[in-house]
Amino acid sequence: MSKLYPIIWKELRDMIRDVRTLVLIASLPLIVMPLMSISSIYMQQLQVSTVLIVDEDHSYAYIPFLGNISTKDIIMNISYLLRINGFQSKIIEKGVITAHKEYEYDLLVIIPKGFINNLTSFTLKAYVVIKKVVGSPRADIAESIINYVLGDFSRKVSRAKVKYLATLAKIKITPESVLEPLGIITTIVKPTGTPASPGEEFKIRLARLMAFSLIFVTTPSIAYINDSIVGEKERKTIEALLATPIPRYSLILGKVFTASIVGLIAGLSDALSLILFFVIPSILYGFNILSYLTPNLIAIHVVAVYLSIFTSLAIITPIIIRSGSYRASHVASLTVVSLASIVFFMALYVDIDKLILVARYALYAIPYTHAVLMIKNAVLGTITDVLIHALIITIISLALLLLAIKLFSDERIIYSKT
Amino acid sequence: MKYVVKLKNVKKSFGKTQALRSVSFDVYEGEIFGLIGPNGAGKTTTLRIISTLVKHDGGYVNVLGYELPKYKNYVRGRIAYLPEDAGLYGRLTGWENLLYFAMIYSKRGREAIEMAKLGAEISGLSHSDLHRKASEYSKGMTRRVAVARALMTKAPLVILDEPTTGLDVFSSYGIRMIIKKYAKELGITVILSSHNILEIQYLCDRVALIDKGRIIAVGTPREILEKANASNLEEAFIKLVGGPHE
Repeated sequence: MSKLYPIIWKELRDMIRDVRTLVLIASLPLIVMPLMSISSIYMQQLQVSTVLIVDEDHSYAYIPFLGNISTKDIIMNISYLLRINGFQSKIIEKGVITAHKEYEYDLLVIIPKGFINNLTSFTLKAYVVIKKVVGSPRADIAESIINYVLGDFSRKVSRAKVKYLATLAKIKITPESVLEPLGIITTIVKPTGTPASPGEEFKIRLARLMAFSLIFVTTPSIAYINDSIVGEKERKTIEALLATPIPRYSLILGKVFTASIVGLIAGLSDALSLILFFVIPSILYGFNILSYLTPNLIAIHVVAVYLSIFTSLAIITPIIIRSGSYRASHVASLTVVSLASIVFFMALYVDIDKLILVARYALYAIPYTHAVLMIKNAVLGTITDVLIHALIITIISLALLLLAIKLFSDERIIYSKT
Repeated sequence: MKYVVKLKNVKKSFGKTQALRSVSFDVYEGEIFGLIGPNGAGKTTTLRIISTLVKHDGGYVNVLGYELPKYKNYVRGRIAYLPEDAGLYGRLTGWENLLYFAMIYSKRGREAIEMAKLGAEISGLSHSDLHRKASEYSKGMTRRVAVARALMTKAPLVILDEPTTGLDVFSSYGIRMIIKKYAKELGITVILSSHNILEIQYLCDRVALIDKGRIIAVGTPREILEKANASNLEEAFIKLVGGPHE
């Protein structure tokens, strides 16, 4: 009978009997990811955000080629767009504002006296004054809505003015060639140079998010391997086991393999939670984000999750078996999780394969980098690169496990303080 | 007489502490050999060296014809060791605890089940108790399964470190009965340590007295009593070490 089998048999039984921990491990990503989605999208809409609009000008004018314009029309357009985006907008007289300083707002829009006069002039410039409350994300959104409305209005006025001037000068013009003589044409392409659709641009962002989601999966299996090795010492079961004919490689591989199954459960849960993360905006906005999560991508994500966990175990096992104490192995676990966090967080903003050579190779030495690159390449459809990075992370992990086997010392485990 | 264990001038230090200064004794095939000594005398270190778990710094150790630590992997398949205060796997049942070790010692599945069945018989626990989680066991039941787990292997050498420590009178008696009966029945050589001198006197064919990392005397209980001119082993021990010490 293979000596690996009894270890896996016992560890699996031990794991299955601890149902509460298993449920917690499986449910953690399922709770966290949808909560992140809800909190970042839906909760923002639940915020009460107020935009106050003050019309100090109360005037109107006729612009040739555009027609009648008034401050009232501009304010109505702004109010309408703000309301459909979930803002409360209130139009207030100037006197009311000064009399109620405590009046709360996220954004205050003032159309100053002389606005229409300046707008219709050929020598003056009209301004709208915006006061934004510091640190309010909703104020940023409101500002961008107002910029959109006013920008559109500004373009219409300038087009009308140019047409009017051309009529006076009796010359034939196209207003756009006067107003915007320089245009920029942007085409999104893949790294290979072939054109990419806007959907593919989104898929790259999706890859970053998927890589970031790996941050949640390393913790449970690390806690499990700690308990499996240091816990055996604390429960006084390891000494009898060490005196049996069980080879040390069977002992370590058996425990790591079982702990990685815990990781696989967490990985599947993570993949499911990622789907849930996208279901919520899909329902809210009717945009089918889920169609980007192909079965291939989900499968590669699960493999990347498993390998991230496996490598975490491989990194921490040599440390656990040398330290022996629960405290030391706990600190080591935190170090590994923190290290993982850096790479997974960095994946959100940094293109690892675009870094300068020294930085890139330094990151390649961290196994988690290859899990991130597996997901990125899966999204880009470069399966060969997915396999190469999967192979690298596996080789690094196996090398670390070999080191753990070499470092294993019965005497150190028995005599180290817990 | 064929020896199963031979220790000659064995030394072991942990940093500046000398745990074993000079330990020498032989254990012969089929006997129950006792190691008596106060706390910190070096009993556990000696047993850990014989169990291949700790390397000695000096001297000669031979177990079942294999020199240690060179041939420790050969020895591990031929010994069973029960450390002091050893626990069971709490989430496994008593039966599963036995089966786990039986699988480690066996080459085939059928053989493992037969070994675990023997363990169940040795433990003396009922079928329903054996199928309860070990975390629900009393200390006495835990120790019965742990001792059975060592004896069921029929290893040529079984090492038991203080098998009755911390148990009440009835549980200690039960464990002693198990050791006495099955060691002889299965033809196993047993080394056990204890600071309960009465227990050693009852169980052991020969004993070694150990104090401050040195063997003070080795022989049958009768030989030691005669050597110390004492009426019981306790008195003999005190006389041989030169009176009680802190």
